[in-house]
Amino acid sequence: MDQPFALTSDLRNNCLVIATSGYVNNVGGEAIAKEFARHFEKGTKKVVINLAKSKVVNSIGMSFLIEIIEQLEESGGKLVFTDLDPAVEKMLAIMGLFKFAGKELNVEDALKSLSSRK
Amino acid sequence: MAGTSKPARTSGTNKLSSQIDSLLKGFRKTSTASNLPDLVKSSSRLLGTLLKKSKIDILFRPQDSTDWQLLADGHANGLEQLRDFLGGKKLSAYTLKKTPMGICSASLLADNSVVVLALKPPTAQTKHSDSDEVLLRLFMSLFEGAYREWLHRRNEKSLVFSLNHRVLQLNSLIDTGIEISKLDQGAPLQRLALERAASLTNASKGIVRISEGERVVEESFFPDRFATQRGHGERQTISTSFTFANRTFAFELFEKESRHGVIPFEDTDQMLLDALARQVHASLENRFLLEKELENQRFEQDMTVAASIQKKIIPVKLPDIDGYDVAGINIPSRSVGGDYYDCIPLADGSFALVIADVAGKGVPAALLVSSLHAYLSAYLEGTLPLSQLAQRLNKVIWRASTDDKFITAFIGILKPETGEFEMLNAGHNPTYLLRGNGTVEEFGAAGLPLGMLDIDFPYQSERITIGKGERLFLYTDGITEAVNEREEFYDNEKPLRDFFLQHQTPRSDAFIIELISDIKKFTASAPQSDDITALYVRRLP
Repeated sequence: MDQPFALTSDLRNNCLVIATSGYVNNVGGEAIAKEFARHFEKGTKKVVINLAKSKVVNSIGMSFLIEIIEQLEESGGKLVFTDLDPAVEKMLAIMGLFKFAGKELNVEDALKSLSSRK
Repeated sequence: MAGTSKPARTSGTNKLSSQIDSLLKGFRKTSTASNLPDLVKSSSRLLGTLLKKSKIDILFRPQDSTDWQLLADGHANGLEQLRDFLGGKKLSAYTLKKTPMGICSASLLADNSVVVLALKPPTAQTKHSDSDEVLLRLFMSLFEGAYREWLHRRNEKSLVFSLNHRVLQLNSLIDTGIEISKLDQGAPLQRLALERAASLTNASKGIVRISEGERVVEESFFPDRFATQRGHGERQTISTSFTFANRTFAFELFEKESRHGVIPFEDTDQMLLDALARQVHASLENRFLLEKELENQRFEQDMTVAASIQKKIIPVKLPDIDGYDVAGINIPSRSVGGDYYDCIPLADGSFALVIADVAGKGVPAALLVSSLHAYLSAYLEGTLPLSQLAQRLNKVIWRASTDDKFITAFIGILKPETGEFEMLNAGHNPTYLLRGNGTVEEFGAAGLPLGMLDIDFPYQSERITIGKGERLFLYTDGITEAVNEREEFYDNEKPLRDFFLQHQTPRSDAFIIELISDIKKFTASAPQSDDITALYVRRLP
């Protein structure tokens, strides 16, 4: 049985790393957006979202992720997804999220790719 | 601000012209804002740069709402001005009005939302000029256009998102079908289908319940366990179910999510749930059929092994008996049979001639044949009289078989040198003996079939002598009851006793060949209905 949605976050080299677990739906998406907004207001523009423990995402959850991507895009920032389940990766690809967001195998790779950005 | 002299008017006109230019340029950039707060914020900033000393508030009332939101707060007492401005009237289109505190301008936007701009002069003594009003009217007009563009962009994005979501639903339906049909996966199919259905329909939660009659045997919740309750509003839940192997699989989804709370499920959501449930149903049926097929294959393999074991029980070659010519045959109607025959050399130089027929066919009959063979071989090593041997066999076969299984058997002990033949018929077909004078003697059943009843039945053996040149014929009912296409019995149409009398072949195996050939001719294309077994003994002259 899946657990209720939860997330953890930390700042690593000026990058916000959010790790989620559970269903990324309205509740999950909103929680991610709030956590992002809290750091974005303080100037954080590089974000990693680790979805290793989130195997199911719905379109409402994705709409929150799209908003984060748009906000980062407008401010010259970048979002990178990591540890994607193949089904989730395909969903995000079909919904067009990778047009503006990146994907990496794991958080370390994502941090490396973001560190090369100004 | 207000001015009266001509040069001042020219200067004012130039200033207004320049402000209009700035406004137009500014809105080109402003109209690309991705959300309403950004659009209002940048618009307000733009106007602020033109009317430097004025205080500006921007209020917004979304369509179908009565609440006003203060989106830009420049301390212009916007809400108070709005009250004065409205004076209890409804807005119908663009309006501009001077209020005791400044100027209020309202505009009905493309989606019936309303935007109100409230301007307050820097001091109570200052008034807004005509050019300020012109600027304000232009600003509102440009804002309406920018808002319309923003609406278009938002609708376009929403449409693209919606189309992508439909593609995603279709794709996921196909992918889920493929995943569900992978027969070796460990996770229960219904769980995967539930997850996908919840995700694709934006349900906040779901359950799949498996029941046998009224009893729930398994429940799976998504995303985690929750208390199910009755009384959800209309279309707040959707459900579907199917029955497979006396189990009902019921899927139920709850609370379709949107960014603005729970909304009713759509028809396509129900279609998706139905489709995913159908995929689970089809996959369960396919699994069942595959398992059945594998079971059949295993059964066939077991039957092949059983047949090879039985082949070792039925003699490939009968022993040579000095002064006798013995031949036999066994043709099972299935891969394993329920008939048995043998010619077993005994320690004292005599031979046991046996023929038996188990009631029934297939594996159960073959198992009893094996038991009979084992017990008979063991008992024949001793010195039991034939009647006691039959009694013991009756007991052990009764214990080894089910109520509907028994064995008819003919057992005879032949002393080759003298032709003495002690025989016992336990419910079997009559045995024929062709005497030297051309008469046929019949030795019918003198006892119950073996294993039929759990009693000490007093089997009686009979002693005869087989003279030189005389012939003995043992057979099972697969011969007498061989059926042709008209469902006629062989023995009824062509009495076996007559065939035995008329076919006095020089060799025993020739008799067997002629008999089988005659039966085949009689049955023609009708399938063999029972095992065919015969044993033919000719004492050489």
